[in-house]
Amino acid sequence: MASSISLPRVGSGSPLLNALRIVPGVLLLAGIGYAGKVLERSGNAYAKAHHWTFPNIEYVLWAILIGLVISNTMTIPKLFQSGIDTYEFWLKLGIVLLGSRFVLADVLKLGGISLGLVVIEITLSLALMTLLGRLFKLKPKLTSLLAIGSAVCGVSAIIAAKGAIDADDEDSSFAIAAILALGALSLFTFPAIAHSLHMNDVSYGLWAGLGIDNTAEATAAGALYSDAAGKVAVLAKTTRNAMIGFVVLAYAIYWAGRGQAEAVDNKAAFLWKKFPKFVLGFLLMSSLVGFHVFSKGQVASLGNLSKWAFLLTFAGVGLRTNFRDMSKQGLRPFIVGALGEILIACLTLGLVVGANRIWGL
Amino acid sequence: MSTDTSDSSRKGTSFSLDTWALIVAFLLALAVRFGVLKNIPW
Repeated sequence: MASSISLPRVGSGSPLLNALRIVPGVLLLAGIGYAGKVLERSGNAYAKAHHWTFPNIEYVLWAILIGLVISNTMTIPKLFQSGIDTYEFWLKLGIVLLGSRFVLADVLKLGGISLGLVVIEITLSLALMTLLGRLFKLKPKLTSLLAIGSAVCGVSAIIAAKGAIDADDEDSSFAIAAILALGALSLFTFPAIAHSLHMNDVSYGLWAGLGIDNTAEATAAGALYSDAAGKVAVLAKTTRNAMIGFVVLAYAIYWAGRGQAEAVDNKAAFLWKKFPKFVLGFLLMSSLVGFHVFSKGQVASLGNLSKWAFLLTFAGVGLRTNFRDMSKQGLRPFIVGALGEILIACLTLGLVVGANRIWGL
Repeated sequence: MSTDTSDSSRKGTSFSLDTWALIVAFLLALAVRFGVLKNIPW
């Protein structure tokens, strides 16, 4: 995930006016998220009262579904757009606060395993997507963007790489549309496959964090399985996000060597600029809890604040997924992306199963 | 779906999204630590 994405630009007026402009959209996110929570509770209570055997549909799924229905059946007024675009802010806020629910030792142990798997995943994903791009004769820079997006962290990685490799807007839009469409599909396929394989929470969380490209979708897919799986998915995905600078730097050097992008003079500054700073916040929050800065009740409050932030994110995931817009972007990048994602999902599943046998996750 | 591909690091806002998330998260943590926010429900 790129650290270089700034808050949505909501106009050129005063800061107060800009802040007010995001209010309607944020209220919409909160309303949809809260409706998801109410539907989960009332649906379960109704099924229990009537002695129905009904699968527990979590608030995560309700919030995404309500958002999907709204964005695909009606035109959302512009008034709401600025606020809806804040969903990524809520995601990062939720991740930093989620650090309070991790013991630092667990972060180091699971993070260490994640890091090893992430390096393998990134190497395989980059090679695979590059191969598929060449087979399907996609433009080289579009192939690079798809490879970076599927190897590291989806849309944010593509945006971070676009400037670094001097890619076209059109190529970036293609790559983003493909990654978003596949992210939406993975929300439903990953939990279903994991349930059929009876995966445990840690294994599934690792798989979701390694196999799903966008952080928001990986977080949602993890939470759809269980609370514990959601935590592990965020940790694995955050580890993957931390690698963004190295991958984008490698591509920038490659394209600069071919005379098709600007040379990178200060590599350390480049890496720091691309490094997702919220990862440091996550680690710092976990350390503060480890040093007993917060009481048990305060840690519970921070964990709940994290859940509220994620609630707004999940509503945003549904609202920003518009299948009609995605279908306009063309089929070939989508096919390459889909083939790559299916293979990457299989590879990462194999990695996680292997890690489970070795370390007993 | 947002397919805005502009590199917004060059835009006019003074803080990046990450920095805002860090600031707000640690302000919330301070508020919880010093009892301004208590017993947040879920």
